[in-house]
Amino acid sequence: MVHVYECMGRRFLLDVESGSVFAVDELTAKLIEKSSPSAEAQGDFSRYTTDEIKEAEAEIESLRKRGVLFSPEPDHPKPTYKGVVKALCLNIAHGCNLRCRYCFADDGQYHGKTDYMSESTAKNAIDFLISKSGNRKRLEVDFFGGEPLLNMDAVRATIDYARSVEKAAGKEFRFTITTNAVLLTDELIDYFNREMYNVVLSIDGRKEVHDSVRIDAAGKGSFDKALENALKLVRLRGNKSYYVRGTFTARNLDFAKDVLALNDYGFGQVSLEPVVLPDGDPLALKESDIEEMKAQYEILAEEYIRRRASGKEFGFFHFNIDIYNGPCAAKRLVGCNAGDEYLAVAPNGNIYPCHRFDGIDDYIIGNVNDGTFSDKLPQMFATTNLTKKEECPTCWAKYYCSGGCAANSIQICGNIVKPYKIGCELMKKRVECALAIAAIESENND
Amino acid sequence: MKHIKIIATNTICKEKGTGCGECQTGCQSACKTSCTVGNQSCEQKKTNRSVKVRQD
Repeated sequence: MVHVYECMGRRFLLDVESGSVFAVDELTAKLIEKSSPSAEAQGDFSRYTTDEIKEAEAEIESLRKRGVLFSPEPDHPKPTYKGVVKALCLNIAHGCNLRCRYCFADDGQYHGKTDYMSESTAKNAIDFLISKSGNRKRLEVDFFGGEPLLNMDAVRATIDYARSVEKAAGKEFRFTITTNAVLLTDELIDYFNREMYNVVLSIDGRKEVHDSVRIDAAGKGSFDKALENALKLVRLRGNKSYYVRGTFTARNLDFAKDVLALNDYGFGQVSLEPVVLPDGDPLALKESDIEEMKAQYEILAEEYIRRRASGKEFGFFHFNIDIYNGPCAAKRLVGCNAGDEYLAVAPNGNIYPCHRFDGIDDYIIGNVNDGTFSDKLPQMFATTNLTKKEECPTCWAKYYCSGGCAANSIQICGNIVKPYKIGCELMKKRVECALAIAAIESENND
Repeated sequence: MKHIKIIATNTICKEKGTGCGECQTGCQSACKTSCTVGNQSCEQKKTNRSVKVRQD
């Protein structure tokens, strides 16, 4: 399978199975399109000479013979459940100081009451992770909420405990914290920059956009404090990983401006995610918004290249595809591994497939406090990999999204095998832009 | 080549010994509401894995 497309006024070609990427001219693009089994039109080649057509056909054929174009799909191994867990999302606080209008976690309470994870539950979660991690060395723990800063005693106790046992267990813990940054203090900034492998700071972009949705209990916008604190943390963070991560909604379909605003504020590493909400919510993205959102990614890609070429630090999470050192085929088949290698733990110790399922009784896998653990759901998640999903096996972008987010499929489409259309279309556009950026930057560096 | 410029070839590594599972879980990085795998990095890339790229 191949995918030929136009982006930023240039034409690119992806050989799906090998992951080979090419920049091509219009004639080659037309010849490739003509060779597609689904091509209806034969194309107009009247402006090309016979010699030009033969020359381009010869180049295509030489790449096919080298196995980097029209390469066949390999026999992927049958997905199996190994019962190994390597990453936990600790929902350390079911409660939040903000009341963001789009919060999937129901203002941080996950459809229950405000609750905070105890230190003993957090330690049990660490023990659970170590006991289930098999021969995996690097274990990941993400402090999530709600707002984790509302339960810092448990965060500190978790890290102290994990550090005290990791060496003897032959493990290496990597911690991430996701925070709205409003409650950060100098002491916390110092602590996070020392202990956290990654910090995710939630800011939505332009002040007016942020303050219209990320409000406190009194309805007041949180932008000024969040920005001040996040900038302080980032300036002191050195080379350690972080992301300023926002959400865009139907209210700011011109979201490229928000990504650029975050970069203008002084953040070099930025992510902005499309909101996921059920139909009917005034902030929900609609299928009729897709073309406008795609155009925004291309506008962003052009400015992204310009800024990076000028020497400005600018990484956009979804454009950061490393075509030279990306994940292996095995990883690309399983994606985020939610429900299998990646699980979430609620304050009461309940285990869920990921943070998006927290609070939904049908998705309780077990509990870290009483030691219960049922393999039924993890087996289902582990064996429903990319090859088992509807439409995905024939999609050109399959090795970049790995079949998409299981929570979106289940919660929006009602079935883990059904792709979430808006997510798919945006993902495909982001991958097109990312590969085009890699190609253009590669040419610029030659 | 005149009509096709190779940017990278064989970027999806299927070599024996891959699939170690030591790489970062996608949702631990920044997305939390989508599945983004293509931009994760291979933990073995500087050791025993070599991807053939940018030939020609």
